[in-house]
Amino acid sequence: MPKSWSIFMATVKKEKLLSVSNILIMTVTFVLLGLLINIVVFSQTALRYLEDQAQVTVFFKDDFGEDKITFLKGNLAKDKRVSEMVYVSKEDALRIFREINKDEPVLLESVSASILPASLEVRAGNISNLKPLAEELKLLDGVEEVRYFEDVVSRFKFWSTIVYIVGILLVLIFFVISYSVVIAALRTTINSKGVEFEIMKVVGASDDYVKSPLIHQGVFFGLFSSFIASVLMIFLGIGITLTNVFPKGLALGFLPGVFMAPWVFSIILTFILLLSGFLLGYLGSSTAIKKYLNY
Amino acid sequence: MPQIEFINVSKEYDPGKKVLDDVIFKVEPGEFMFVVGPSGAGKSTIIKLLTKEETPEGGDILFNGESIINISKESVPDLRRKIGVIFQDFRLLDSKTVFDNVAVALEVADSSLEEIRSIVPNVLNMVGLTEKMFKYPKQLSGGEKQKVAIARALAHEPDVILADEPTGMIDPDSVDDVLEVLEKINSLGTTVIMATHDQEIVNAMKKRVLRIERGQIISDKKGGKYRA
Repeated sequence: MPKSWSIFMATVKKEKLLSVSNILIMTVTFVLLGLLINIVVFSQTALRYLEDQAQVTVFFKDDFGEDKITFLKGNLAKDKRVSEMVYVSKEDALRIFREINKDEPVLLESVSASILPASLEVRAGNISNLKPLAEELKLLDGVEEVRYFEDVVSRFKFWSTIVYIVGILLVLIFFVISYSVVIAALRTTINSKGVEFEIMKVVGASDDYVKSPLIHQGVFFGLFSSFIASVLMIFLGIGITLTNVFPKGLALGFLPGVFMAPWVFSIILTFILLLSGFLLGYLGSSTAIKKYLNY
Repeated sequence: MPQIEFINVSKEYDPGKKVLDDVIFKVEPGEFMFVVGPSGAGKSTIIKLLTKEETPEGGDILFNGESIINISKESVPDLRRKIGVIFQDFRLLDSKTVFDNVAVALEVADSSLEEIRSIVPNVLNMVGLTEKMFKYPKQLSGGEKQKVAIARALAHEPDVILADEPTGMIDPDSVDDVLEVLEKINSLGTTVIMATHDQEIVNAMKKRVLRIERGQIISDKKGGKYRA
């Protein structure tokens, strides 16, 4: 073990209460950081799922026959904005209706396939194309009604963006808090060891000899705290994997179309947290040394 | 070749207020020199310039023939291991034993445990503190504390010992002990420069006396006397 590490360990042992409280504050910070990143990713994933589900449902008039609908479907298939189409015939609609209302026999008796409309579910590759598609489909002959749940998707998209922005802001704020915690912790150490550092310098200690234990202290606080937070995030990832909340996996906002297993994301998050811990510890201690040790 | 040479050295902490003004002097190897003068005359500044705690605004300072004005930051620890410093307030660590206080000087130079175990008892023996090796500073008298500081300064076998008012905080009975140790070190070939304004000590020792007032050298006499 390098000498500076043993000096640092001696400091931690000597200032147990201070070290424990610093590690606790930083752990809470990193747990919050991890949770915020998770919330941002979860909301992005939920949006992706909603976008995938978003569709325009076109209900046809009774006199608009299946052959005409098939022809229309063929024409729509050529439209590049359309990614997928599902034809729901009157019989399919009845089957779905029966499935949904299987516990209400009176209602089922009064409904037949003839009174239910045939429909076409149209999905777009890009959610922003749904609205113009819906407007165009409304104008076609034989179309009774076009349903498009624009509000739900756009509202979720709005809130998801808010979560994203607030999340990033909070993450930045927590970074600043962690940075200040490291500086405050080392300031205490530097103040309590001021005379010792002065003596060390006078008797010929190199700058590195004086600085290394402090840098190690900052890095240790950062890494240890982020490690604890990482373990908690891994458990969260395992829990999400086991409960299958996101069957397709988690979506990353900046990588469209990419889904990954929650446990894989937890491992990536672990690296992010550990790297953040290291950088915060290193930069925080370097700043504290510069500020309070006149280096 | 002189061991220490101040060539037209000027130093000011505040613009326009010179603490040292065009100071010139040389110190030969093995010399014992007093730097005397009233408080604020510039005695401590000379010591700080030699240990590179401060840098002059003008002139040059040579140590063993080489300028220390522009030496790199990395070279400063080496310089400080060649120059041992003793302070008026001892600057000992109360939480460490006498042995550990001296060992600090060797630890910072990455000396091995064997070296520390061999050197520390030797220097403590030289200053007559072998029996107090495992005592804490609070268990020592002022004179003994200063001897620990001398032992720490000696640990690197420095070429020069700089003593900044070393008798200022010790009882009169211990002053002679400390001076005796400094003389002994000097007799073994180490240069000693002692800043003081205690005329009794200076006059009793009959060494070279460099008198400084308001940042300027007033007199420089071998076997000189000093009247405050």
